[in-house]
Amino acid sequence: MKLTRRQALAGAAAGALGASGVYELVDRLARSSPRRPAAGALPPEQHILDGLRVITDNGVEVTVPPLHHQVVTAKVAADGADLRDAQRALENALARLEAKYTPTPAGLGVTVAWGLPYFERFVPEQWRSHAPFDRRAQEPALLPTRAFPSDPPETTLERNDVAILLRSDSLAHVEDGAKTIDALAVFHVTSIRKGFVGGGLPQKMARAASVPGADLIPDGAELFLGFTSTQSQGLGPRKIANLETLGYADLGPASYFREGTHMHVSHIAEDLEAWYLNFDFQLRVDTAFRPHLRVPEGTQTVRQAPQDVASPASVERDFHRARTIGHSAAIQTSSRLQADHLAEDGTLYRKGTAVPHRADFNTLDNPFFWPVDPAAQPQAGVHFVVFNPTSDDFHRNRLAMDGVLPDGTRLPFQPRQRGQGFNDVLRTTHRQNFLVPPRRHRAFPLAEL
Amino acid sequence: MTRLWTAIALAVAAAALSGCGGRASAAKPTAAPHCSSAARAGWQRLANRIQAPVYCPAWLPDPLTGVIGSRDNNIDAVSKDRSYLESWVWQETGAGAAGGELHVNLRAYPGVTAVPRCRNADTNQSIPCFADARGTKRFGSIVATLYTVNQDADQWHAAYGWRYRGSFYTLSEHVAPPLTYAKVVRYLDRELRSLELINPS
Repeated sequence: MKLTRRQALAGAAAGALGASGVYELVDRLARSSPRRPAAGALPPEQHILDGLRVITDNGVEVTVPPLHHQVVTAKVAADGADLRDAQRALENALARLEAKYTPTPAGLGVTVAWGLPYFERFVPEQWRSHAPFDRRAQEPALLPTRAFPSDPPETTLERNDVAILLRSDSLAHVEDGAKTIDALAVFHVTSIRKGFVGGGLPQKMARAASVPGADLIPDGAELFLGFTSTQSQGLGPRKIANLETLGYADLGPASYFREGTHMHVSHIAEDLEAWYLNFDFQLRVDTAFRPHLRVPEGTQTVRQAPQDVASPASVERDFHRARTIGHSAAIQTSSRLQADHLAEDGTLYRKGTAVPHRADFNTLDNPFFWPVDPAAQPQAGVHFVVFNPTSDDFHRNRLAMDGVLPDGTRLPFQPRQRGQGFNDVLRTTHRQNFLVPPRRHRAFPLAEL
Repeated sequence: MTRLWTAIALAVAAAALSGCGGRASAAKPTAAPHCSSAARAGWQRLANRIQAPVYCPAWLPDPLTGVIGSRDNNIDAVSKDRSYLESWVWQETGAGAAGGELHVNLRAYPGVTAVPRCRNADTNQSIPCFADARGTKRFGSIVATLYTVNQDADQWHAAYGWRYRGSFYTLSEHVAPPLTYAKVVRYLDRELRSLELINPS
């Protein structure tokens, strides 16, 4: 199935929220929407999506994310005086969506996250009183967006007021959600980012869009780079990414943001030809997971259990032996608990437990679905969306990916050096930090105070 | 826009010509189209020099000629072990789609059927020069394996490798604009179908 250039790109801005472009093919190419377990009552957290199915692949439990994903970023259109009205309108719209669709992949998951520009411009006084503070980092829990060593100089550090994440197995539900919120006219949309998740879809979608290197993607792969990334043991347990759970954040006297979290959004372009033509299978395993990990040729799903977790010492040892680091191993030095941890609600999280909640998705946007660069061809990439307890916690993970380990070790990489594995074929175009309030304060947080 | 005929200095080429021993297999040559008389003369000289069959390409993407000693033949190298690398390159500089490169390599490792070994530039470990096999295709009597991760002068190329009369032969092409991987494989298919076997005389 081939697309014309016109079909591959979205339409004009006005129709972009409801347009599906190339992503219409997801429903045609996916065998069917996976069957989903029923969800319980609405969780107080916005970022928790219930009803996710778990399958077993290669003996490893894998969580099946929703098929369709969309992120809409925006600036607030209302002025300060209208903020309470805007708050009521947005909350009503979100409640209507919840009444219409269960907040699961079978229905629609909506997460509204707010950027530092919103808090500083619209509710500065309230923000000063209620902003969560990261005790571990001794910094605010929501930090200005920063660049990382492997980012190219042209990476845009964005300053959106808000980001809305929509997730569903139904493209129609996602489009309805986006249009419902847009109809309120409380936001000026700055970007629309679309994509998909599903085993086998990356190759099929890339071929349909004539992306260079599409034929090199293995059949059945969940990601363009050929491996599975949603191993259940690599995803944080239900409440671990909450601001309060691990005790990283001081929530202040009113605990306004309790049951909230932090969200980072970035767009990363992937050079498939560079990956598949320069890294043989073993080297792809070495750099995606850890050096000298032996798995049968063609394996896509690799176990990521707590007992497999790397330590800073093992990553450093591997680096000195193989002159390379594994993406997963390096990040695990920060993203996994390094010791048993008793949470504030009495839950014991064992050493090796993953902290982040991942919500990233494959995309053919270049870099965004809208606005469209007419000269840009569809491109393999990922809209990386991840929930961590705080900005600093995300920063630690991202720095570890660049060889800056949490124990202070700095592996001597040059930017984009081949030994950094994934980084050699990834190019981050945009990134921004957001705070995700709890469901009860998701609409224009702090405006009512 | 400037058109440049480049002689890319691939210093690693000579080192990559050596290979390992192995057993012969018995494939018959394809029913060959005809390479040009200008090309045939050079390939015949090469076959005579190494005392082994060689393959003359009857088709390479324009403007590559396949003529040994031509302006686009940037590498014409034969090693002591009789292995050779013949390379043709064309490069055009310019912004966006105006720029591009075509680069085709033909190699043989006489008396060797094993995939030759190369050195990893980062770790100095011995690695296969042609790896990540992605299936085989039959072109007449040639049964060629498609390799996607290749080294030295074939780095970032897609390559076909096959065996004939106890020797290992390869044909590779660079995956670079204006070509994508899929297009390179289509070109390689056509190039491989066009090969004319030339025996030493």
